[in-house]
Amino acid sequence: MHIDIKKEIKESGPGKTGLIILLLMIAAALLAPVLAPYDPAQQTTASLLSPSLSHWLGTNHVGQDIWSRLLFGARTSLLVGFGVGILSTLLGTIFGLSAALIGGLYEKVVMRVVDAFIVIPMVIIVVLVAAYIKPSISILILLLSLLSWQGGSRIIRAQALSLKERGHVAAAKSFGANYFYIAWRHIVPDLGPILLVDFICGVRRAVFMEAGLAFLGISDPTLVSWGMMMRDALSFSYLNVWQWWLVPTGVALSLTIIGLTFISHAAEPVIEPRLRGAEIA
Amino acid sequence: MFSKRNVTTYAIAFAFILVLNFLLPRMMPGDPLMAIYGDEALIAMTPELRAQLVERFALDQSLWQQAGAYFLALFQGELGHSYYYNAPVLTVILGRLPWTLLLVGTSLVLSTVLGIVLGLESGWRRGSRADRAMLAGLMSLNGFPDFFLGMLLLIIFGAGLGIFPLAGALTPYSGLSGLALVLDILRHLFLPVAALTLSHLASGYLLTRNTMITVLKEPYMLTARAKGLPPRILKYRHAGRNSMLPVVTSTGIWIGRVVTGAIFVELVFAYPGVGSLIYEALLTRDYPVIQGVFLLVAIFVLAANFLVDLSYPKLDPRVSYAY
Repeated sequence: MHIDIKKEIKESGPGKTGLIILLLMIAAALLAPVLAPYDPAQQTTASLLSPSLSHWLGTNHVGQDIWSRLLFGARTSLLVGFGVGILSTLLGTIFGLSAALIGGLYEKVVMRVVDAFIVIPMVIIVVLVAAYIKPSISILILLLSLLSWQGGSRIIRAQALSLKERGHVAAAKSFGANYFYIAWRHIVPDLGPILLVDFICGVRRAVFMEAGLAFLGISDPTLVSWGMMMRDALSFSYLNVWQWWLVPTGVALSLTIIGLTFISHAAEPVIEPRLRGAEIA
Repeated sequence: MFSKRNVTTYAIAFAFILVLNFLLPRMMPGDPLMAIYGDEALIAMTPELRAQLVERFALDQSLWQQAGAYFLALFQGELGHSYYYNAPVLTVILGRLPWTLLLVGTSLVLSTVLGIVLGLESGWRRGSRADRAMLAGLMSLNGFPDFFLGMLLLIIFGAGLGIFPLAGALTPYSGLSGLALVLDILRHLFLPVAALTLSHLASGYLLTRNTMITVLKEPYMLTARAKGLPPRILKYRHAGRNSMLPVVTSTGIWIGRVVTGAIFVELVFAYPGVGSLIYEALLTRDYPVIQGVFLLVAIFVLAANFLVDLSYPKLDPRVSYAY
């Protein structure tokens, strides 16, 4: 279990590329208020302009600056992504660990529910629920997290099952350590790399889902979102706007997801050590 | 093999879907009739109709009695009435279903077969330039959301080059029949299928490649090699068959993903399937249709998963000992 995840990612070409892409996106999101020349929500009469020096990527149908919206869109995407990543990894850890440590009927019930949620098509549920409740960004994060912790909890449980049989856990138990202490002191530290992979996969799924929901038009319309920008761009595709409206937005979204995919792939040997050395060659 | 564990899993999943479908509109603030029937129904609403609907859904009674009425209707195959289309929901959905089945079926077969073949070849050449190129290429492709990929294909091959039609599933009012009709349908199908296939190719590829890498290290591969078998036989008969097993397990999950992917792709290409139906229903707040589609799609995906689970031990007898 002692594989250095940082080394694993740094030594793989795609892993490094992914990390750089992600850092760029995070920088764009953090610096959006500084980098953006206009208020992304400010509607003006200068609609559907072609790119120029004052509007790098032109303006959309209600005269908003597309470049500014692109930068602020990174905020929404990454906020939802990281929010869901953190929350779903947390839930996965709580249920996976407790199932492994407590065992018995509790474990059976938790794992059956986990299995059930894995076979349910998540996107469909999110679309149905979102169609009714029109989620705000925090509700969306909560909703996506509740529906996406199950896969990770299965892996965490499997790992915890093997970890809890180790000598140091038995020693801690013999000193009267309780479940919480054992989990926190002796198991979570060794789960680190797996949690990181689970987190990254959660972020990727959420970025994807947020864009998809906005594309279908069922997320908060006041948010600046890449998915919604693409949806708007599609309805104006007969004017050549796709070149500066649709493509940059789609590329930003795809790059974010690709970056995350590369990182999680480079970190995969953590879960499946037999794959080690596959890319380095 | 009919394991208890499997049945419980699917029973829980099924129950969750039914309960969600029942509770969601009834938990919404405001008039439940409005949440169940959508905006369109209010226009057509007369006091008599209202009274009739309230009675039918037992809306003036307790939640338990409402649930009773709901499930009774459901088990009689009653999915409700769409006031937008002014037709039973089931009829509306069944009219759209063939197109989605065509789109999803073709894409699923293509992406699975291509994914397996590419994965085998790539894993066999692990570490080589071809392997690394394929790996990076397919992983990048995987990052493109299906709707963006669809839009790019549409712009390049539809609008730009004019090779393929921009929208729909067939040329309207063309009066085509026979072979000409089939060709017309295929021409309309090409771009949506390409978008779905390309965006779902990577999962099968990555899984096959990973398994191939571990399978190649098995002792029986060494034996086969020592016997002097030609690489083609080694690759496809010995390593290939065993590398395909996890792909079969995952097909169930992929069906779910391809079906949901179809929602987005259909929207981009205005393909008249269930996906476009969901979108139209979202726009018009046609809740009975949203609910009906949700229920049918969820049941379809669950059933597909269940069948895959059932067939797996037949393909790999080692599994039946695992339970």
